[in-house]
Amino acid sequence: MRTFLTMLGIIIGITSVILLMSLGQSAQDYILAQVQGIGSNLIIINPTASSSSSKFQPPSAVLGVIIKTLRDNDIAALKREPAISAVAAEVRGISRAVYGNNDTAVTYVGVNTDFITAVNITTSRGVWFDQNDIDSLNHVALIGKNVAKNLFGSADPIGKSIRIKNLPFQVIGLLSTNKGSLFAGDLSDVVIMPSSVAQKQLQGIDYYSVFIVKYNDRYDLNFVKSRITEVLMTDHGITDPNKADFQISTQDDLLSILGNITSILSIFLTSIAAISLVVGGIGIMNIMLVSVIERTKEIGLRKAVGATNSDIRLQFLCESVILTFFGGAIGIALGAGLSYLAYVVVNKFGGIVWSFALPLNAVLLAVIVSSFIGLVFGIYPAGKAAKKNPIEALHYE
Amino acid sequence: MIIVKDLVKNYVDDGTVTAALAGVTFTINDGEFVAIMGPSGSGKSTLLNVLSFLDRPTSGEYSFNGKEIEELNDQDLARVRNKQMGFVFQSFNLLSRATVYDNVEMPLLYEAGIPVSKRKALVEKAIASVGLTEKIAAEAGSLSGGQKQRVAIARALVNSPAVIFADEPTGNLDSASGAQVMQILSDLHRAGHTVILVTHETYTAEFSNRIIRLRDGRLESDAPVAKQRDGAGQFFK
Ligand SMILES: Nc1ncnc2c1ncn2[C@@H]1O[C@H](COP(=O)(O)OP(=O)(O)O)[C@@H](O)[C@H]1O
Ligand SMILES: [Mg+2]
Repeated sequence: MRTFLTMLGIIIGITSVILLMSLGQSAQDYILAQVQGIGSNLIIINPTASSSSSKFQPPSAVLGVIIKTLRDNDIAALKREPAISAVAAEVRGISRAVYGNNDTAVTYVGVNTDFITAVNITTSRGVWFDQNDIDSLNHVALIGKNVAKNLFGSADPIGKSIRIKNLPFQVIGLLSTNKGSLFAGDLSDVVIMPSSVAQKQLQGIDYYSVFIVKYNDRYDLNFVKSRITEVLMTDHGITDPNKADFQISTQDDLLSILGNITSILSIFLTSIAAISLVVGGIGIMNIMLVSVIERTKEIGLRKAVGATNSDIRLQFLCESVILTFFGGAIGIALGAGLSYLAYVVVNKFGGIVWSFALPLNAVLLAVIVSSFIGLVFGIYPAGKAAKKNPIEALHYE
Repeated sequence: MIIVKDLVKNYVDDGTVTAALAGVTFTINDGEFVAIMGPSGSGKSTLLNVLSFLDRPTSGEYSFNGKEIEELNDQDLARVRNKQMGFVFQSFNLLSRATVYDNVEMPLLYEAGIPVSKRKALVEKAIASVGLTEKIAAEAGSLSGGQKQRVAIARALVNSPAVIFADEPTGNLDSASGAQVMQILSDLHRAGHTVILVTHETYTAEFSNRIIRLRDGRLESDAPVAKQRDGAGQFFK
């Protein structure tokens, strides 16, 4: 029991190492899946408050600055580029949708037809609107699962008319819950409509909040980026690249930002785990010192019957390593168990696709680290044991 | 063969020097059964510790089976203790939570190169020779005092040592168990082992064939047991 208590430090340390590495891996897998869901040949263009040298600037809207430069003529100019096959554009807002006596909060997203093809959104029923609907400002919409449930209950929404900001929209399709797409996000509370309607009739604007450019992957990414920069700068009448009012980001950029965040986080968490391992090691050293004193007579006896100092040292080092090794093993089991629990809980209640990952290198690291701690913190007690005088040890009471 | 000459052992404690052995000279031949006697504090244990390589003399010469203690390092001493000496202590010194088997096996673990099967045979033979075969898997702590000391003897002879050192082996035993232990030591002597026994009981000394008496760290007498009996065959003090 006392042994178990002293192993606790190691157990907690290793548990957290395993938990962190396992959850970290799962989170990374999840984020990667999300980002890769974008597609590798997509480029995102955000409007920015210009003149920043920082590579990764928050979108202008975050800064409270509204940039109105991403417009239809940009889309047309970009589409003239042979490398660019589609320019998806969206504008979004928040409102309430009403049907009869029911109403519910929705995010409405106005998109162009390229959006439908470039960003992978699937419908469970119904049809998409087309360019004609956009040109004619037709009030048609596709609605998400929650919207349908909140407004219509079990009734069929197709063909019905809902109201958003007092404008009627005919429901022409149902969106399937799409977990894989970063752009689309969770579509349960979304209403998708023609971009023209969202811009002109709901918001009274003529610009977009983001472009997603799909390029032909026969072209080099950097070439495409330089073409986009040039086209947009010309279009916006900007000559100094530092004053550009847009920011281009690719999947790689996103991955590297996420990578940075992940590594900072894991360094931080690993240091916490390291501290608990050191504390655990000191605990082990403590119990080994107690054990050396309690077993003084045994040490004397072993020396009498022929154990050399190194035999004794080795024995106590081994015991210390075995202690921490088992502490580590328990920690691995516990950490993996907790991570698995998180996996079950997240999948059941979190509504996202979360995978369970137990990286082999985490297990190896845990085994090595825990044994190493036993070794390091066992050296001093083992040395004390080895140096005991056999006669005094034999008469120790 | 054990040869000591002018053996001196001083203990220094806070500047005061205790001369536990003040120049002792004798020779013990292979196969002898020697009892070391003397009053408490006369240096018996100190002498046994030096003879059994657990301690080094302050001065004087000591040769064990042709090896001078001066010329051996601590590791050599450990090796000689392991291969050629067996130890029986007053307080048994068993690992009480280990089995009889594991206790007896201990000296063999510090001797390299004994195959497991041979080790097992040696341990079983040693345990059988002290009549404890049916206790082989018992926890040492669960045994009676006499049984514990027999386990200790089995441990002392498992490596077939030339010399068995016993420091007051019957000191913690009732007389029946003590007699049994002495009988075993006597049998070992008859089987060819040199036995060196520290005791203050004349009864146990009677099993030996030579008595070395110490007083204040010096040799008081050194004579065969037969000569210490009076005309009526009575063992005298
Ligand atoms: N480790 C020690 N330090 C100091 N003095 C000791 C030590 N061991 C024994 N002595 C002293 O040496 C003398 C001989 O002790 P010992 O050999 O144990 O005698 P015996 O075994 O005959 O009773 C005693 O005076 C004892 O106090
Ligand atoms: Mg004594």
